[in-house]
Amino acid sequence: MSLDQAAKPTSARTSNKSGFNFSQHMNELSLFVAIVVLYVVFTSTANGFLSFNNQINILRDAATIGIAAWAATLIIIAGEIDVSVGPMVAFISVVLAFFLQWGVPTPIAFALAIVVGALLGSIAGALRAYFDVPSFVGTLGLWSALRGTALFVTDALPVSIGRNDTLDALDRSVLGIPPAAIIMLVLFAVFAFISRKTAFGRSVFAIGGNAHAAFLSGISVSKIRVTLFAIAGAMAAISGILLVSRLGSGNATAATGLEFDVIAAVVVGGTSLSGGRGSMLGTLLGVLVITLIGNGLVLLGINPFFQQVVRGLIIVIAVLANIQAIKRSVSRNKG
Amino acid sequence: MTQISRSVEVARRSIASIKGCTRQYPGVLALDNATFEVAAGEVRALLGKNGAGKSTLIRLLTGAEVPDTGSVAVDGEELRHSGSNRAQDAFDKGVRVVYQELSLVPGMSLAENLFLGRWPRKGGVIQYANMEAEASEAMGRLGLDRPPNSLVASLSPAERQLLEIARVLLGKPKLVILDEPTSSLAAAEAEKVMAAVKRIASDGIAVIYVSHRMNEIRQIAHSATIMRDGRIIETVDVKGADTREIVRLMLGSEASQTAALENRSQGQTVLEVKDLALSPKLASISFSLKAGEVLGIAGLLGSGRTELLQAIMGVQTQDHGNVLVDGVSVAPGHYKKMISRGFGYTPESRKEEGIVPLLGVDENTLSTDFSGVSKNGILSSRLMAEATRKVIERLHIKTARTDTPIGTLSGGNQQKVVIGRWVYANSRVLLLDEPTRGVDVEAKAQIYTIIRQLAAEGRSIIFVSSEIEELPLVCDRVLVLRDGTLQEEFKSPNIDQDALMAACIAGH
Repeated sequence: MSLDQAAKPTSARTSNKSGFNFSQHMNELSLFVAIVVLYVVFTSTANGFLSFNNQINILRDAATIGIAAWAATLIIIAGEIDVSVGPMVAFISVVLAFFLQWGVPTPIAFALAIVVGALLGSIAGALRAYFDVPSFVGTLGLWSALRGTALFVTDALPVSIGRNDTLDALDRSVLGIPPAAIIMLVLFAVFAFISRKTAFGRSVFAIGGNAHAAFLSGISVSKIRVTLFAIAGAMAAISGILLVSRLGSGNATAATGLEFDVIAAVVVGGTSLSGGRGSMLGTLLGVLVITLIGNGLVLLGINPFFQQVVRGLIIVIAVLANIQAIKRSVSRNKG
Repeated sequence: MTQISRSVEVARRSIASIKGCTRQYPGVLALDNATFEVAAGEVRALLGKNGAGKSTLIRLLTGAEVPDTGSVAVDGEELRHSGSNRAQDAFDKGVRVVYQELSLVPGMSLAENLFLGRWPRKGGVIQYANMEAEASEAMGRLGLDRPPNSLVASLSPAERQLLEIARVLLGKPKLVILDEPTSSLAAAEAEKVMAAVKRIASDGIAVIYVSHRMNEIRQIAHSATIMRDGRIIETVDVKGADTREIVRLMLGSEASQTAALENRSQGQTVLEVKDLALSPKLASISFSLKAGEVLGIAGLLGSGRTELLQAIMGVQTQDHGNVLVDGVSVAPGHYKKMISRGFGYTPESRKEEGIVPLLGVDENTLSTDFSGVSKNGILSSRLMAEATRKVIERLHIKTARTDTPIGTLSGGNQQKVVIGRWVYANSRVLLLDEPTRGVDVEAKAQIYTIIRQLAAEGRSIIFVSSEIEELPLVCDRVLVLRDGTLQEEFKSPNIDQDALMAACIAGH
């Protein structure tokens, strides 16, 4: 019997391998094509799109979305959602500004800000994991309460921090590249690694794919859910720190609507909203698509209100085209 | 015996008849020259083990299948067309089926569910008063006395089943087919459903009742048709028939075979269950399990097999009673602690609870303990592939690569991975819930071999199965679960299929 078994796999190998991997990379491939198309269109229509300064701007804008999007990718793969990102970033920026005003040493203030972000995030996580409150509701609560608290405490006025060398350094480009972009790319590498190479990352996929099976195979489903939201809070806190370094103040009104850019980037990147499926590379490309659209439309001088319409259309069309492409490649493989 | 029942049939008007029908599937003769008839007002029990051809027979009557040869007639007229038109034809002629899976919307009211999609309307507005009055009447006829505006979510499982039957009756059916309607119900609750079935029949509707609970069949059925290997073996008068006789008809001559299991030495007691109760399914369960022993648990669908395993594992918390591991009582309701004590559990519904379909064979296997394939907290592709390959080779899993998504594998291979998960985790006690369900014959044989091998290594296995014939092939000992308690014990080599089946289905 065992000889028989050993012979079979070889024949199945070739067909199966090409089939699966092709459709898996179809998503990234079509996004890459979309990015090339956006580059061609904007280069030929928008003045100065290809300039070094503008490319740096794109990277910097991408960082704001990207850092939060890495964590959001894991959350969405786990079958959850986090809509609290924007207010979280703003709230942390205010908290950090107050810490600095009170004379807390900068590195400690940074660390505290990240801890506060993680704790706030884990509230939504614990509500989900231990009390079955849907993550949409838990994070919606945070979304409202955090923005409200920040506005209430600051009266919607910026909280200035005075001179701070560390924060200034964080906004000073290294070889022309803004630190925010470097931090984003480093974190990307970390998250890509976590998602593929650690028990935690693989457990996230297992929970999103079939939470019940994951539980029965001994995965600590509840702990992982809490950890995911704590990580998302910490990532939002890092964005908050970068925001303070860029504006020189804590700002309760900042990062409005960021949560939707983040979710859009993750979804455009091919991560399934129903969980279990997705990739960091896809999200990276998704972040680029979202950022490019925003940047290009501004350069084209399109009416800012109408920009939102165009953006909405492009997001839906991108996801639609992506789904169609994957479907076609799957059916071609079957046939 | 046949004569008696035939005289019953002749007395009444025939509602549905199948004449000389054969249905061939690729590789399987699902129905072999079957002839079957059911009359108005008759309750006919349909008996047979899995794969005997019961569902094919039902599918012929509902028009879901067209016979290769022979004809199907309902109310004197032959079913016409093929495909969905044929099903519609059968439906129009008055054939209705109540399936095991309920099709109710829990968040809507009883009345809304009864008329689901066909709500009485006036200008697009639902006429609630009319609808609820009609619903009350329809439900009352079946003994379901609940306010029609209460929610389905508030009903007990038996009441949901009644509602389902009431819905079917609204279409004025001539033939109602009930597919194991009481399998998910505790004994007391089943009475309500049976009372409703009697009432339907007294209204002149023909009823086909698929079930294996002999005491139910004796209470409500006039006669029982027994199927085996796609053939209708006999139709007997239930009142006169002996359970052992029915079992013999269900299992055929193969039943007399007894598998020769070599007797092996068994070690110390690893698991003891004392007076365990979990309402409504389990009343009082006590047994023990030794190292190296394969213990079978036999019982019909819904007899509480899954609940028993889950209570032992701590997935569910028992009402009272103790679980002792190595002689030490363990706190109930701690699944992860049971895993760390060396226990492993494979669930009954492989798809819903067993596998993460999108992930690879490797991750589905290794998810019990990623630390074994990590270096400094980082998963090592090499170690993962090695560990997975070991399991693949041991359990003869057919997969192209170690990271092939498990969803693309056959049911048998998926099941082997789910078992392999605990082999990888080196569990010493494995609780397998229906590990051969939905698995092809070859894979079944392999799973038996795997179980014997694991036992030979000194692991203990609890093997739950509703397929009686496989228990003697694998088990050192078989306990029969019925009415919430363990009724009988059989020891190898004296595990007799007939006696086992009789113990599972017998009434009081």
